[in-house]
Amino acid sequence: VLKTILILLAAWLLLAPRGQGAEPEKSVVQITVFGQQPVWDAPWRFDSVRRSGGSGFVIQTKRGKRIMTNAHVVSWDKQILVRRYQDPRPYVANVEFVGNDCDLAVLEVEDESFFEGLEPLDFGNLPKVRSAVVTYGYPAGGEQISYTRGVVSRVEMQTYVHIGNRSLLGVQTDAAINPGNSGGPVIQDDLVVGVAFQGAPGLENTGFFIPRPVIDHFLEDIEDGTYNGFPQAGIRLVPLQNPAYRRYLKLPEHGLGARVDSLLPIPQTRELIREDDVVLQIGEYPLGSDGTILYEGNRLFGGLAFQTVQHGESVPLKLWRDGQELNISLPVYYYEGDRAVGNQYGTLPRYFVYGGLVFLPLSLDYMKTMGRNWADAANADLVYELYYRRHESPETLRPEPIVLASILSHPINANFSHRGRILVDKINNIRIERLEDVIRAFESSAESHHLIEFSPNHAFDCLNREQAEQANSTILQTYGIAQDRRL
Amino acid sequence: MKKGIALVLIWCWLVSPALSQEQSTRQEPSVWEKSVVTLDVTRKQYDYLQPWTRRLKSSQKTGVVTGPREILTTANEMFDRTLIRVQKGGRGKWWVGEMTWIDYHANLALVTVPEEDFWSGLQPVEVPELTQAEGTMQVVRWRQGRLENRRAEFQQFHVDESGLSFTPQLQMEVSSEIQGAGWGEPVVSQSVLLGLVAKQEGTTCHIIPSAFIRPILEAHREGTYKGLGYFHFVWQPAENPDSHAYLKREGEPKGVIVISVPPAPDIEQVVQPRDILLKIDEFDIDIQGDYQDPDYGHLSLENLATRRKWAGDEVQLQVWRGGKLEEITYRLPKAEYDVTLVPDAVFDQEPEYLIVGGLLFQPLNDAFLQSWGPDWKRRSPFRLYHFNNENPTPERPALVILSQVLPDVYNLGYQELKLLVLDQVNGRKISRLAELREALQNPIDGYHLVEFFQSDSLRKLVLSADDQELATQRVLARYGITSDHYFASPEIESDRPHSEPVAGAGVAVSR
Repeated sequence: VLKTILILLAAWLLLAPRGQGAEPEKSVVQITVFGQQPVWDAPWRFDSVRRSGGSGFVIQTKRGKRIMTNAHVVSWDKQILVRRYQDPRPYVANVEFVGNDCDLAVLEVEDESFFEGLEPLDFGNLPKVRSAVVTYGYPAGGEQISYTRGVVSRVEMQTYVHIGNRSLLGVQTDAAINPGNSGGPVIQDDLVVGVAFQGAPGLENTGFFIPRPVIDHFLEDIEDGTYNGFPQAGIRLVPLQNPAYRRYLKLPEHGLGARVDSLLPIPQTRELIREDDVVLQIGEYPLGSDGTILYEGNRLFGGLAFQTVQHGESVPLKLWRDGQELNISLPVYYYEGDRAVGNQYGTLPRYFVYGGLVFLPLSLDYMKTMGRNWADAANADLVYELYYRRHESPETLRPEPIVLASILSHPINANFSHRGRILVDKINNIRIERLEDVIRAFESSAESHHLIEFSPNHAFDCLNREQAEQANSTILQTYGIAQDRRL
Repeated sequence: MKKGIALVLIWCWLVSPALSQEQSTRQEPSVWEKSVVTLDVTRKQYDYLQPWTRRLKSSQKTGVVTGPREILTTANEMFDRTLIRVQKGGRGKWWVGEMTWIDYHANLALVTVPEEDFWSGLQPVEVPELTQAEGTMQVVRWRQGRLENRRAEFQQFHVDESGLSFTPQLQMEVSSEIQGAGWGEPVVSQSVLLGLVAKQEGTTCHIIPSAFIRPILEAHREGTYKGLGYFHFVWQPAENPDSHAYLKREGEPKGVIVISVPPAPDIEQVVQPRDILLKIDEFDIDIQGDYQDPDYGHLSLENLATRRKWAGDEVQLQVWRGGKLEEITYRLPKAEYDVTLVPDAVFDQEPEYLIVGGLLFQPLNDAFLQSWGPDWKRRSPFRLYHFNNENPTPERPALVILSQVLPDVYNLGYQELKLLVLDQVNGRKISRLAELREALQNPIDGYHLVEFFQSDSLRKLVLSADDQELATQRVLARYGITSDHYFASPEIESDRPHSEPVAGAGVAVSR
């Protein structure tokens, strides 16, 4: 009898649902966000308040129960409301941590009673290709929770469109992921194997979710109370498959090794790595000659191996240099140098207004104010400055290129020849490297006229200093600008 | 039933003159029937993405007899020609024509027909010095054996780049319902030639006016035409009084401000940035950069570089420099396509290329970028097009690109490379194909080290020098290419100066 009881107990233990068990939907929450984005070419203003919806689910953290969702669900939020499964009451929530590079966020709910009766969902591993998954969430088109079943189509590095300039591990599924699904759990065997986050415009039955390794990295990152982000080595790795090139480098024909073609301006990386080094192994992952590693049964871009550690940690590297192997330990960091070419969140845009001239940093967000075809509409020199100069002549790159975005019309600038959307080179002979230089250049001048020079072609314009200073407060008042600057 | 058809035919016969009067002003045999001819031009058309291939393209154009044994037309589509045929009267025999002179910058060409009989019944028209945009205008051409004579309405004179050159030139705009014009059709008023249609956009026809054509033809006949000149500096409008005050000039704002003088070793740099350009010859310049032309009203100052002036001629400039007036003499530089880092055009020349083990190298020019179609300025690769904004330097007078790779075992791993700008090969800077060929004669330890411009793409590759020749031959055979290279001038030297000194202009063609 005892034996029978033990067998039954063992069977119950094996079969018993974990966490919320067979009802994970009870831990899936509906998120409503009222958000307001800044106007990037008139940064003292905001767009109208917009309502958007998303999904989330309850997780257990060291700080207690929280809601996990996507960063893009809660970006530029003014108010976040969460609702439990089949519960009409809205609860106010706040962003506790957000990782815009990995499109994940953790929310805390002001009223702790929200979590009563809600069990946190447990996480499963990276799902196998061809295995079945179910997405849970509150997509558009209805108020009730929705379930969609699909299979894992492939595991690859994906561009995370929320930030736009980062690629992390992502999983493609044919389960429908629609607006509102974002932030909802993707479940396999009652365990969360991912967070639904984006679709592919133009492709049917294609959705993507953020898998466990990325989620784990995010949760580990925030344990110290600060989110740093996914590190990058700053190494541009290119395949090394040409036999002549391999012979030139005296590299054995073992199918391993990708070549370092160029380096980002990261001091530690430049100190330890050289162009034409061959990377043979990153951490525990041998690097193939096509630049990929074998990761959980999938051949993936080798840069993934640098994302398995946290910001500031080191990665052991096996290199091939000058005809022999070399082992080093490379510290890796979150890279801030390309922030302007990604979508920015959280921090309101910087600006300075002087004499009706609106100065602000050149960024992708600013360029997008020129419309969907901004690359065609924009001055080509702005496109070059934003995207190409950093690669082609990093020694001439300004840390924060500044544009004259627009002119707030006033008699003192009525005959200004340039009306905006142009890169500022110098003001009063001070080279403009960042917004603070603009302020310093104007405020330190005692000349009768300010000289503002633009790039390219050395176009310029002048502004009467005394008239500008007298008109400043009137202009700000006329255009409803509370402060002449945001730094 | 037959009666019904007959009535309809009668109605058509009665009504058609009225309808045709709506569409055409032709009422009686026109004097232009004896002066307007049709040109059929066959030319080689190159595919710059496969520069060893060529096709034939035929275009029908219109010419006008302007002198003894002389037909005037536009230069457009006359390049790389293999055959010119000329037809008079809109029907009948095609006569073989010959190009006697062409100037691509001016977009003008002269054609003749050697056979004497052709000229029988043809009557030259005068190209008037003054383009009088008054009264009724027509665009004239032969169509299906009849002289089509479409009404046109004057819009404006203005100064703009011609379709074939960066040099701003006087143009006339007219609106017309004519379809498919822009092939040298004469625009006339009664019996007076007003100009040739160079381009049509919608209902707007861009005309090369007689006022621009006449002095060039005269100078050409006299042997004094030296090609078009232009102002080799960049200016901005000077409407801002604060800018004048900064430059210490008092009074009513006038003139324009020179902001940049691109470096060019062969061009005198007498104009300086921050000069206020007040006067060119006898014409005052206003703050928008216009002057009051005695014949054509407000026109851009750029016109004063081509208004009865040629390359090498002098113009007098009055500038405000450093707080005082100065008179300077400016010698007009000759318009050359290679004055820019990316030449605007390559005419009468097969595309240059060099294949090295399947790697296809080509000079970067706008002809290559035009492979991206009519909207090439937006559709061609941004970075390559953006080189148009950069100036050549003595160290880098031109650019060579790796345009694509023809896959072969030799170039394994490089098959997907394309559109990379060459920096160095085997340690030598590369600006021209000849330099590349020379650098390939000097491998380093049996390898070719190929380096590209710093970019977000590949920076470096290595090729085996020993296997190169064999691989190249294998690629040529596999892809059906007859030669591994085409250089426009076999004797090109790598240290050739990038622009020629001012010399005779246009191309006098003899056979």
